[in-house]
Amino acid sequence: MLPLLIVTAAAVVVMLAISIKRSHLLAVWLTLVGLAAAFFSLWIVAPLTPIQVTPLLIVDGYALFYMGLILAATFVTVILAYGYLENQSGYREELYVLILVAALGSVVLVASSHFVSFFLGLEVLSVALYAMSAYLCARKPPLEAGLKYLVLAAASAAFLLFGMALVYAQLGTMQFGQIAAMLSGGACYSKALLLPGIALIITGIGFKLAVVPFHMWTPDVYEGAPAPVTAFIATVSKGAMVALLLRYFYETGMQHLGSVFLVFSIIAIASMIAGNLLALFQNNVKRILAYSSIAHLGYVLVAFLAGGTRAAEAVTFYLVAYFITTLGAFGVVSVLSNGERDADVLDDYRGLFWRRPVLAGIFTLMLLSLAGIPLTAGFVGKFFLVAAGASSALWGLIFTLIVTSVIGLFYYLRILVALYAPPAETGEAAPAGGLPALSRGGSYVLAALSVLLVWVGVYPAPILDAVQRAVSTLRLF
Amino acid sequence: MFHLVWLIPAFPIASFLVLAIFGTRLSKKAVPLFGVGSIALSAVVSILIMFRFLTSPPPGNHYTQILWTWVDVGGFKPQIAFYLDALSVLMTLVVTCVGFLIHLYSAEFMQEDEGYSRFFAYMNLFVASMCTLLLGNNLLLLFLGWEGVGLCSYLLIGFWYRDPANGLAARKAFIVTRVGDTAMTMGLFLLFDKLGTLQIQDLMHQALLHWAVGSPYAVAAALLLLGGAVGKSAQLPLQTWLPDAMAGPTPTSALIHAATMVTAGVYLIARTHILFSLAPSAQFAVAVVGAATLILAGFSALTQPDIKRILAYSTISQIGYMFLALGVGAWSAALFHFMTHAFFKALLFLGAGVIIESLHHEHNIFKMGGLRKELPLAFWTFLAAGCSLAGLPLITAGFYSKGLIIWDTWSSAQGSHVLWFAAVIGVLLTSLYTFRLIFVVFFGEVKTPVHKRPGLRMMVPCVILAVLSVVGGFLDTPPFLGGVHSFTDFMHLALPVMTEGPAGGMTEILSESFVTLAFLVGLYLAYFFYVQKREYAEKLTAPAIGKALHQFWLSDWGMDWLYERVFVRPIIWIARVDKQDFVDNIYSGMALLTEFCYRGVRKTETGRIRWYAAGIAAGSIIFVAIVLFL
Repeated sequence: MLPLLIVTAAAVVVMLAISIKRSHLLAVWLTLVGLAAAFFSLWIVAPLTPIQVTPLLIVDGYALFYMGLILAATFVTVILAYGYLENQSGYREELYVLILVAALGSVVLVASSHFVSFFLGLEVLSVALYAMSAYLCARKPPLEAGLKYLVLAAASAAFLLFGMALVYAQLGTMQFGQIAAMLSGGACYSKALLLPGIALIITGIGFKLAVVPFHMWTPDVYEGAPAPVTAFIATVSKGAMVALLLRYFYETGMQHLGSVFLVFSIIAIASMIAGNLLALFQNNVKRILAYSSIAHLGYVLVAFLAGGTRAAEAVTFYLVAYFITTLGAFGVVSVLSNGERDADVLDDYRGLFWRRPVLAGIFTLMLLSLAGIPLTAGFVGKFFLVAAGASSALWGLIFTLIVTSVIGLFYYLRILVALYAPPAETGEAAPAGGLPALSRGGSYVLAALSVLLVWVGVYPAPILDAVQRAVSTLRLF
Repeated sequence: MFHLVWLIPAFPIASFLVLAIFGTRLSKKAVPLFGVGSIALSAVVSILIMFRFLTSPPPGNHYTQILWTWVDVGGFKPQIAFYLDALSVLMTLVVTCVGFLIHLYSAEFMQEDEGYSRFFAYMNLFVASMCTLLLGNNLLLLFLGWEGVGLCSYLLIGFWYRDPANGLAARKAFIVTRVGDTAMTMGLFLLFDKLGTLQIQDLMHQALLHWAVGSPYAVAAALLLLGGAVGKSAQLPLQTWLPDAMAGPTPTSALIHAATMVTAGVYLIARTHILFSLAPSAQFAVAVVGAATLILAGFSALTQPDIKRILAYSTISQIGYMFLALGVGAWSAALFHFMTHAFFKALLFLGAGVIIESLHHEHNIFKMGGLRKELPLAFWTFLAAGCSLAGLPLITAGFYSKGLIIWDTWSSAQGSHVLWFAAVIGVLLTSLYTFRLIFVVFFGEVKTPVHKRPGLRMMVPCVILAVLSVVGGFLDTPPFLGGVHSFTDFMHLALPVMTEGPAGGMTEILSESFVTLAFLVGLYLAYFFYVQKREYAEKLTAPAIGKALHQFWLSDWGMDWLYERVFVRPIIWIARVDKQDFVDNIYSGMALLTEFCYRGVRKTETGRIRWYAAGIAAGSIIFVAIVLFL
């Protein structure tokens, strides 16, 4: 429980600090200290696990691993947000409170073992995200993004709740462990009510994961939200949901039901195809990344469907690689953005290499990793996904994964071509006095992420060990 | 001590990274500090390891350092591991020490060049790759180094990329060696497929167990590896890239295209010598390739006017000697010649660099002359190296190493008298073209004035190499000249002893006398044609047949002409004819289909929230329907 309490306390402290004295730097430091403290408290908690905290939460190695991932990603987001918000006018400090609250929601999600905590975590996360998306309310796109997200998320939450209600009505319990026992114990229940319940829950989860056909909000929200917030939505929010998905379906054994398996297969295939196709000729980098994230979640589902420890490991490892890469990619977008608008059009990146070679190099690495080119984390992650899929003989899904990856390569390479294109001669002259300085924190974070990316790509063993230890605590059904 | 071996490639690779990333920001003083210093450190480590190897050899005379396992998939388990035995220790020592001297020389030679740091970055990457090639304990790691040196060779030949001709030469080198590399990869596949490992020692052991002498697999694998070696070492029929490779900076030619990389083929064959002994026909092919190359390249060298091209053909010819030695099973003789050749040929190139620099980048030897007085130190060092190359009896290293090869060609069970005769003719040619070069460049009247004299950093390496070119031979001498055989003994720690055949009336002293005679004839002919009667040399090429022959040899036996017509033009023709073939339509059709689908799905992204909500609702309904009714 300690990490959760620390994050909660940090949110309260930051809020109080803002009310006493507005200082951007102070707020950031308090947030970072809180997150770091929560992160290191994981090691204090580790010897005590697994413990069931009330029927709602289970803190085991699996939950701790995901908490670490979420806290680290939040840490990175906060640093990126600091550099980003320095260029903005208006109140800046409250964003950190929101980020902390959203992180709290995610942390609850990965530890939840009960429908109530599931929904609680989801809503804490979502409510914070609405405000975060629309945080720069003086601009139009963030407002639009926030509103769209609010309306659609509320709608999908209704589906989720209704699904939970149906399941509860049939089985009389909301705890994952007991659901598993009921399902296998052959308790009398009506399939006609239980199965639609599960399908509706899938709707709710699918919305958060932004998989087809619940994906359509993604590009609009990604495009409109401030870049660091987009990074947060793409990583923390989705990662927490995947963690929950794994726990919920693996611990209850629901994915063994034939029709559920079919539904997820359709979702995975449709996501891989639609995500990659939609990104093809996009000219907005944030939208490209949005579509690519749809496709990546499709890839994750391939391994998820494979089932078993191997698959859980593959999914978790892939998420680590995905976190590093996505944070890095949105980090580049974020440090390039200025006070007026985000650097999201492809033209903003044309010839970047000749202006900022290091940044272009980092972006190249991130894109190559997203495309799954060897020596990057993305390649190792994809390799494990395919291996997991192959061990369960999901050939159709693997075939789709490979074909759509090839299509995906096209739009990643399109960005790369733009990065290295000769600088436009006719464009506006270079600003006098050289280029504006990049945020220092953001640059360090990006450098660290690049190193991590290559390190994981070349020498994945340590991460793999940690993932294996974490997943081994999951009670597979 | 041996566990420090990983440092030998690590220093240059670290320096490469520094130079590649921060190169343009480093000062002119810091660049050589990294570029030369890293190689110096590697050389020190190699010397220490060599010393340790001599004083207290490791058990079994070999040592393996396993750093980590790269991947472990289905029995395929390539390791990043380094293997030390007499062969790799010796070659690494020569590569790092000669490499260090050449780097030192380059620090001054390339000083004015705008690509100063880029040059050292490439050179350091080269040394790192070359050491990986030599030290790798499996063929995959060896192949990594093999491709690495090929890449560096490409980058350095095309170093002055503003001249398109240099780019063309670089591409030619890359593509022609690629032909050999393709054969080599197929060889690796074959070996892995049949024997299930790429770890060299294991592989040799397995080959001995599973394959009888002359088994078709062994012959095929050995021939495929020979293909790779022929490409990299510029032997017939893939030698055409090396003369053009002279477009690179001169230190590059000295390091890569004379002393080290081009001997990688020799190393590969020596490393897999067990495989070649299992395939006598392939081994005989090695000898024939070597003998043919040394003669053909010798003739070509005779006619070249460009000082660097003469040396390039000479390199091809000398590596021919090494191949000949490998082919007759005289393993240690081949390595001995590799070492002495590295000394004198590197020095010849460095000397050529001094001359070219001081004469406003003049390459044509007929526009040079009388440099003996102008550049005395360059003259004496060049003379020492030239004599060593030509094999001046008794006092030069080249005499001992070449003499050993020639005697072994006669006396080996796998040797033959024809090969021996070819090798002796080769001595005559070598002596002739070497002294032609020396007489034309250093004697006679001054034709181009000297405008710049080399400094200390350029001349010190030359002097050291000159000393080595002379004394390097005393490591191994014939019985009648002291009978030292410390080099051969050392190599026998790793390589087998040559099996001797019937000598048939020839003795080593007689063989050496023939070599001496050939040397003297060559020397006299050069003196006659290029000092005494210069006009005679022109008269030789005056009649139609002389002119045609001269032209034929000048163009390297018309090889480029032939390849242009047999390979290049037909392929270009086919490519042009087949520009729009059916198969392409499949791929462009897939691309079109993808684009069509994109236009279709794009319509779903309307930006309207009610449409999005409808999508979610429709999705849920469909899924509920699926779970209910399926």
